[in-house]
Amino acid sequence: MKKAKKAFFMVLVWLLLLSPLFGNGNSESGATSEKKGKETLTVTMALSEEEWAVMRNQVIPNFEKENNCIVNAVQVEASDVQKKLVAMKQAGKMEIDVVASDVNREAALIDAGLVEDLSAYTDLIPSQTAGKLAQAGVFDGKTYFFPYRPNAEINYYNENKFNQYGITPPKDWDELYQVSKLLKDKEQIGRICLKIKLSGDAIDLVEFIRSAGGDPLVLNDQGTIEAFTYLQKLWPELSPDTLKASFSSSNTFLSTDEVYYCPNWPFAANIIVKDGGKTEIKAYEGFRGPKGFVKTLAGEMLGIAKGSEHKELALKFMSYLMSRDVQATLLKENGWASFRTDTYADAEEWQKPYFDALLKALTVAEPLPRVSNWDKIQQCLNDAGKEILLNGADVKTTLDKYAVQVKALQS
Amino acid sequence: MHNKVHLSRVLFYCGIVLLCFCMVAPLYLLIKVSFSAPQEVNTAHPTLLLHHPTVRHWQQVLTSGNLFKPFWKSLVVATSTMLLAVFLVAPASYVISRASRHLKELYVMVLFFTKMFPVVGIALPISVVFLKWGLLDTNIGLILAHLIGQIPFMAWILVSTFSSIPRDLEEAASLDGCSKMRTLWSVVLPVAAQGIAVSGLYVWLNSWNEFTYALYLSLTTKTLPLQVYYYVQRGGTFQMAAYATILTIPVILVTFVMQKYLRSDYLSGAVKG
Repeated sequence: MKKAKKAFFMVLVWLLLLSPLFGNGNSESGATSEKKGKETLTVTMALSEEEWAVMRNQVIPNFEKENNCIVNAVQVEASDVQKKLVAMKQAGKMEIDVVASDVNREAALIDAGLVEDLSAYTDLIPSQTAGKLAQAGVFDGKTYFFPYRPNAEINYYNENKFNQYGITPPKDWDELYQVSKLLKDKEQIGRICLKIKLSGDAIDLVEFIRSAGGDPLVLNDQGTIEAFTYLQKLWPELSPDTLKASFSSSNTFLSTDEVYYCPNWPFAANIIVKDGGKTEIKAYEGFRGPKGFVKTLAGEMLGIAKGSEHKELALKFMSYLMSRDVQATLLKENGWASFRTDTYADAEEWQKPYFDALLKALTVAEPLPRVSNWDKIQQCLNDAGKEILLNGADVKTTLDKYAVQVKALQS
Repeated sequence: MHNKVHLSRVLFYCGIVLLCFCMVAPLYLLIKVSFSAPQEVNTAHPTLLLHHPTVRHWQQVLTSGNLFKPFWKSLVVATSTMLLAVFLVAPASYVISRASRHLKELYVMVLFFTKMFPVVGIALPISVVFLKWGLLDTNIGLILAHLIGQIPFMAWILVSTFSSIPRDLEEAASLDGCSKMRTLWSVVLPVAAQGIAVSGLYVWLNSWNEFTYALYLSLTTKTLPLQVYYYVQRGGTFQMAAYATILTIPVILVTFVMQKYLRSDYLSGAVKG
C-alpha cells in the first residue's frame, strides 16, 4: 500500500513536471488552427459572462463559417489592453489582431503607436451611425477606431421609495440637492448615491464640471469652481456608498435598497431588473447642470493592433460586428446600446424605457478629454476632490494648486 | 486555584471559538451566497441561513468553460514552480549554509537584491523577453517567471533551516560510512523536511496567487487569479462567490496535506547526548 502510494505520488510529480514542457493550455492556439488550414484572428474584448455567451454562440460562429477561419476571442480588460500591446510590440510579436478599446483610452493607444490608421477604410462605417459617434474614433484628422458599442451612464432610481416620499427623479442640481436632503432627513442616512469614488475613473466629476461650463483640463476656471462648491454642499447629504460605487457595487446597492438612486451603465438593468427581478428600479437620462445637460461617452470602439498579420480578415470582422444583424442581436440579447439607429425596434418591451433614457444620454454624450496622460490628470481631479469633499478644504485655493499640476502634465 | 484554572480554560476555549468564528464566517458567507437565490441576498436584510438553495450559480461557473483550463494551468504552474524551486534551491541552500558566515550573509544579501525591485517594474521587460522566446500562453513561461521571485524567497528560508541543523549529525553519518550525497539525502533532508515543506507551501501559494506575470504572459488560457479578477471586474456577485469558493478548495487541501510537516519538534532527538 505504501509502495503504491509512493508510486502514485511519483507519477503525479512527473506528470506535473512534464506537462509544462508539452502543454500550453491553449487548445485553440494559432498553431493548432494553422494545422487545420484556417486563419486565426485574435480579438480582445472586455465582456461579462452573459455577454460572452452571446458573442460566442450567436455572433462569432457565423463569421467563422462564412470566412473559413477561427476567431480566438479573449477577455482582456480595457485597462490591460495597452500593457499587453506594449509588451507584444516591444517583443516584435503582435499576437492580437482586433482590439475592442474603451473610447476613453483610445488616445493612449494612438500616442503609443499601438493601433493602425484606418482612414483608408472609413467607407466601411455604416451610414446609419447615430449622431457623431463615428467621430469618436478620429484623432488629428485620422480615423483609428470604428464605432461598435457606444455607452453612457443612465440614472437609476427606486420608484417605490420615490413614490413613498412623494418625490420625482431630480431634473437639475437644485432638485438633486433637495431630494438628497429630504431622504437624508427622513432616513437619517443618505440614500442618493453618485459614482464619485475619488479614485480611478472620474466620469461623474467631469460631468459636474462640464455641466457648470468648466473644463477639467483647466481646473480652476469659474465652472469648475462652481461645480466643486456645489458638490461640497451636496456631499453631506449623499449616501456613504458614493465612495464605493463601482458598476458591480452600485448594482448591489440598488438591489438591496441600500441606496435609492445611482447612475450606472445600461447593462445594470439586465442584472438588477431582468435577472434580479427588481422591477421597481427605473431609469432616466439624468439631471442638468447650470450650463446644460452633459453626459460622458463611453463604451468601446474597434481598432486593429499595429503589426497584426491578419489585417484583411480583421477589417472583415469589424464590418461584420458593425452589421445590422449583429448589432440587433447584441442589443436584444446583451442589452447593449447600438451605434446604429436602425436596430432599436428589435429591443424587448422591458428594455425600451432604459434604452429611451440611454438614447437621450447618447445624444449629448462626449468623450472624456482626449489627452494621453488623462489618467494622471484624472488623479489630480480625484485628489482635489478628496481635499475639498472629504477634508472641507477651500475650493478656489485647492483648485489653483491642482490646476498648476494639470497644466504641467499637459505641457 | 482549581476555579482559576477552570476559568482560564473556559476563557481560552471561548477565545478559540471566537477566533474560529472570525475565520470561518467569511468563508461561510461566501459559500452561502454561492448557493443562494438572488432574492435572498438582494434585500435590505439578508438572512444568515440558507432558505432557498440553488445550484444555478455553480452550474453557470462549471459550464462556463472558465474553470477547468485555468484551474489546471494554475495547478500545473504552482506545483511545478514549487517542485522546481525545491529541486534547485534545497541543495544550493545546503551548500550556502555550510559556507563561512560572511560568505553566507553575502549570498543571502545578493539573493535579496533581486527582490528589491517591484514586480510591476520588472515584469514588462522580463515578459518582453519571454514573448520573444515564444512563451506567451505557455506553462513553462509562467513557471520560469514565477521562479524569478520565488527562488530567493525559498533560499532565504532554507539557508536558515539548514544552518540550524547541527553539523554533528553529518559527522555522525560520516562515521557510520555515509557518503556526502547519502548524508544529504538520508540525514539532512529528512531533518530539514519542515523548513522545505513550509517554504514549498509558501512558494506554491505565491505562485497560485501570482497576478502580474500571468497578466502579461497569458492571453487565451488564464490562471485562476486572472479569472477571479475577471469576475470581480465584470459583476455577477453569485458567480463570483461560486468561483471564489472553488478557488479556496485547493488551498485548503494543500495546507491540510502539508500541515503534518509543520511541527515544532522536528529537531528533538536528532542528536543524543
